[in-house]
Amino acid sequence: MTSQDSGYEHLAPLFKEFASLPEDHPRRQQLRDELVTGYLPVALHIARRFAHRGEPQEDLEQVATVGLINAVDRFEPDRGSDFLSYAVPTITGEVRRHFRDQAWSMRVPRRLKDLHVAIGAAVSELSQNLGRAPRPSEIAARLQCSTEDVLEGIEASAAYRSTSLDEVLTGDDSSGHTAADALGQADQALDQVEYRESVRPLLESLPERERTILLLRFFGNLTQTQIAQQVGISQMHVSRLLAQTLAALRDNLAD
Amino acid sequence: MIAPGGQQAETDTHALIEMRVAASAAHISAVRVVAADLAARQDFDLDAVSDLRMAVDEACATLVPLAAAGTMLSCRFLVGAGRIEVQASVSVAERTTVPQNTFGWRVLTTLTDEAFATSDRHSIGITLCVRRERTEG
Repeated sequence: MTSQDSGYEHLAPLFKEFASLPEDHPRRQQLRDELVTGYLPVALHIARRFAHRGEPQEDLEQVATVGLINAVDRFEPDRGSDFLSYAVPTITGEVRRHFRDQAWSMRVPRRLKDLHVAIGAAVSELSQNLGRAPRPSEIAARLQCSTEDVLEGIEASAAYRSTSLDEVLTGDDSSGHTAADALGQADQALDQVEYRESVRPLLESLPERERTILLLRFFGNLTQTQIAQQVGISQMHVSRLLAQTLAALRDNLAD
Repeated sequence: MIAPGGQQAETDTHALIEMRVAASAAHISAVRVVAADLAARQDFDLDAVSDLRMAVDEACATLVPLAAAGTMLSCRFLVGAGRIEVQASVSVAERTTVPQNTFGWRVLTTLTDEAFATSDRHSIGITLCVRRERTEG
């Protein structure tokens, strides 16, 4: 990341040329493509910063790329500023807008959407610091708003689109834990359960990630926050997946 | 409690919230929402709020199929002093007990500080208790 500036220096002359050409010049399209491709790692890097918040990684990368294309189109090299210092806020803004506007399955007032994003960020930060999930009062103190606002914001989060079950698991390279690692550990605990024979076939019918989360919670005795860190998704997402999985298991058990 | 400006006292006194819904799976979500709201307002951490919501869901889903036709699911929430107790019960047509050798029961005991089943001739119930400061981190 330290090489971010030096890594893109070769692209600067392209901007000069891009800006100097008239709108309809055939070479413009080629230069634009080269610039967008050249700076693509910046967009992907920003998209990764927003991972684990319940949005599919591909969507975030696409949105960040749109932000990059806008930045390339609107950048004016004559203004003297560096492209990156213009592009990073533009791309970040595009991703934030995506979270605010597009990811909601239900109509929710704008104020609550902003609050949802803020709460999400505060929850992950506080969880890191506290080593457990934060309380509404702690989130309120961090965001300098009232507890009532936080409660309202949390409620609004329930309207946030519940992510599809086949959403890609991101970030396992950075955490060093794979879902399979976690599973081996929890499986031992499962062996001590006397009725394991009745549960095991059901567990085996679950998708790997859902099974892992379930085992870690009910046989590994980890909290949702600990599971979130281990599996690399948000606590709210763990909560949703657990609730969905339990409901699915109940339906199967009832047969 | 009727004292003017006495809202502050709410946190320290025990409050009883009781709700009854038709004993059908369709209405469990209403009970769940109430449970989560009460926990969040007691300043339970988000894990604990979510755990209680799931525990209540599980308890109700265990009871509802055993309820006599056309009866109600009753849920009493005792809230106060950093703890919430939930008493869920249904009427039954003939004497029975809450199954405890199940995965669902393991879910209940993992998610709560205390869970026990009750039964008499006409009803069965599950009582759950969660504390704000959980003993096992």
